[in-house]
Amino acid sequence: MEAKVEARPVVNVQAPVVREEQGAMAAEQHELKMTARDVNLWYGEKQALFDVSLDIFDRQVTALIGPSGCGKSTFIRCLNRMNDVIEGCRIKGDIRLDGENIYAADIDPVQLRARVGMVFQKPNPFPKSIYENVAYGPRIHGLAHSKSELDDIVVKSLMRAGLYEEVKDRLSESGTGLSGGQQQRLCIARAISVNPEVLLMDEPCSALDPIATARIESLMEELKETFCIVIVTHSMQQAARVSQRTAFFHLGKLVEVGDTTTMFTNPSDTRTQDYITGRFG
Amino acid sequence: MSDVSTIDRRAALDWASPQAKKRIRRRYAADRRLQAYGIIAIGLAVGLLGILVTSLVATGAPAFLQTKVNLEIYVDPSKVDPKDPAKGNFRAIVRDALFAQVPAPETDKQKTEVTKILTSDAAYIVRDYVLAHPETIGQRITIPIAVSDPFDQLYKGVIPREVEALNWTQERTFDRLQNRGVVVTHDGKAYLKLDAYIDPAKVESGDFTGIAHESLRAYLPDVSGTEMFGMLADDAPDAIKGRVETDPGVVGKTIQVELPVSEPYQTLAKGETPMVLNQRFSPEQIEAFDALVAKGLVSSPFNWELFLNADSRFPERAGLAGAITGSFYALLVCFLLSFPIGISAAVYLEEFAPKNRLTDLIEVNINNLAAVPSVVFGLLGLAVFLGFFGLPRSAPLVGGMVLSLMTLPTIIIATRAALKAVPPSIREAALGIGASKHQVILHHVLPLAMPGILTGTIIGMAQALGETAPLLLIGMNAFIPSVESMGVLEPATALPTQIFSWADSPERGFVSRTSAAILVLLGFLVMMNMAAVALRHMFERKW
Ligand SMILES: Nc1ncnc2c1ncn2[C@@H]1O[C@H](COP(=O)(O)OP(=O)(O)OP(=O)(O)O)[C@@H](O)[C@H]1O
Ligand SMILES: [Mg+2]
Repeated sequence: MEAKVEARPVVNVQAPVVREEQGAMAAEQHELKMTARDVNLWYGEKQALFDVSLDIFDRQVTALIGPSGCGKSTFIRCLNRMNDVIEGCRIKGDIRLDGENIYAADIDPVQLRARVGMVFQKPNPFPKSIYENVAYGPRIHGLAHSKSELDDIVVKSLMRAGLYEEVKDRLSESGTGLSGGQQQRLCIARAISVNPEVLLMDEPCSALDPIATARIESLMEELKETFCIVIVTHSMQQAARVSQRTAFFHLGKLVEVGDTTTMFTNPSDTRTQDYITGRFG
Repeated sequence: MSDVSTIDRRAALDWASPQAKKRIRRRYAADRRLQAYGIIAIGLAVGLLGILVTSLVATGAPAFLQTKVNLEIYVDPSKVDPKDPAKGNFRAIVRDALFAQVPAPETDKQKTEVTKILTSDAAYIVRDYVLAHPETIGQRITIPIAVSDPFDQLYKGVIPREVEALNWTQERTFDRLQNRGVVVTHDGKAYLKLDAYIDPAKVESGDFTGIAHESLRAYLPDVSGTEMFGMLADDAPDAIKGRVETDPGVVGKTIQVELPVSEPYQTLAKGETPMVLNQRFSPEQIEAFDALVAKGLVSSPFNWELFLNADSRFPERAGLAGAITGSFYALLVCFLLSFPIGISAAVYLEEFAPKNRLTDLIEVNINNLAAVPSVVFGLLGLAVFLGFFGLPRSAPLVGGMVLSLMTLPTIIIATRAALKAVPPSIREAALGIGASKHQVILHHVLPLAMPGILTGTIIGMAQALGETAPLLLIGMNAFIPSVESMGVLEPATALPTQIFSWADSPERGFVSRTSAAILVLLGFLVMMNMAAVALRHMFERKW
């Protein structure tokens, strides 16, 4: 099977690209999507990341785990340059998306963030209608040329986020009136509405109950057929359930990365072992 | 181990011990004390506000009514030329109409007095009416005409028709004489029974008044001045003169005389309070006014003219329309300047400005600007806008510019606070989906901050509405007798400056009008603040 799909335009994707269904998932069949090499990051004087090098593959879920404060969020935010807006944040190293250095001078971070979408820990829908929440991204990126196209994108995105059935009668109601789990799925719909290549999720389920969590996990299962997903989680079980690759961070360093099954059954580093067996963190 | 520590803890926390109970009592007492302080403070504040508003309402309420005479007027074609009605002799027309209703006054002076019942503007009111309705020439019309200030106050009961003739000192002095038995009464008439020295020199020169005064002064050695001589009736010296003429032998001797007391003291001797007609009115005026009242022509309807008329020298005709228009123009200019500039400055400082010495300095100075006394801004406006740029004096344009200097810092500070209050999660959400900085600000942050910004703006505007000093300095207290000529570049007055000029006027009618104007100003302020509260509720935070 050919992993390489069609070359994507940088932003102006006209319509969601439906990719070929993949067969059995073997790691070597997955195309390398993002690479981080020797990433060091400082908040002011304080260094938060030390020489992090990580490969992220397309159409699978990569989980970042590690004790609180170890730099998971910091790292994931490097992948779509969300750290740019933080005062005093400096980054050194090399992060590539499809072989292109995303910190190069000619890369526009705004376009980059359309290609690398993000879902945050706390559901943060805009205080606007459900429709407007999803339509906003396509609208500012000019993805729809008519109202019906826009409607189409909104409905499709809500469907893929598994929310459409619940909200189809109240698209004009406020997005903040939904339950926490629905809000988070709305945020996912909003993120995938611009058809990103990579979806970053920073603890997307930490504010949700087990049922809502299960819904989002099964959603990730579906989405990974199309997207490259990076998820930060504190739940070992969740990492084991949804991810194919797991990276363990500790004190700003990437300690170990590998197949999720290997990581959880046979970690090579004692710190990883201690962490996943619950001895610290 | 664990047993020991449990026991220790029990001992330390014996809630039933007297010390513990005392602690609880003390805590409750402290709670209650704190609450009591709060209630006292609020009570004081509300009480003072209540006193202020009640006194304003009490003095200002009469100004919301205006006494008027429904005068039937014959628009005499011989006095008004239908071809050129503006030149008509309306003064005579009003005069005739008035004299038709009241007992005819005799002398010219009395006629002038009686016409003063109506406002001095009466002729203009009729002229304006006839100009607007030319078909009424040659007909009889009935229009309400405001009465002049003293009669307005009289009808509304603000000033009395009669006042006490004697003041407290005069009454006390007479009391003393009464207590010493000096006052005697025959046939219902009161006399002063005095020992008088019939000074030959004074008899020689015929100065019997002097003799009477001397004798009275001897009884009241500690009273200085000549006021007490008012006690003696005009014919008192004649009583002495009569005695001297009937019995020349008394000259050079001290004799007892009975001198009649003057009119008010006669009443006082009877144990009543002597009253006289208020000096503001002449007897003819009162007679004529009473006739008008008796015919049912006088009424005091709601004073719409307070809001429809511009300023006037006559309180009964003065209104706030000019001041309200001037304030409106000035606030409009102020809003148009300070709202966009304030928001732009705040957005730049909050969202774009790098944090360095320069922006720190700017920030500190903006905060300082908010604390600068308004009179300083007035001086600045005078020097820069009028002096340097040569903008027109007294104009709402300059007033608004000066006021915007004051509202700018308020708006900038409120806007920055509102921008800061927008949760970072919303910015992150927008950034995360690929919105650029200006899109984040324009599409998400500003709309969410808008209620806070508007609240700050309205509060700033309300402050500007009440600001007096800067407007006085740039001369925005012009006398504006007509609203038509007003414009952004024309001389104008504003509500607070109008209050200032009315408070300075001596006429009684302006006293209540000042209070009424303050009430109107307070009304506008309350409305603006309520609008701010309503806005806040309408856009209740939704995140
Ligand atoms: N904006 C910031 N300014 C300064 N230091 C920061 C900032 N954000 C994070 N840090 C620091 O960087 C380190 C890594 O933080 P990060 O948020 O990446 O941790 P994390 O692994 O996501 O933790 P958690 O699991 O609790 O979310 C921490 O020591 C934190 O204090
Ligand atoms: Mg985190």
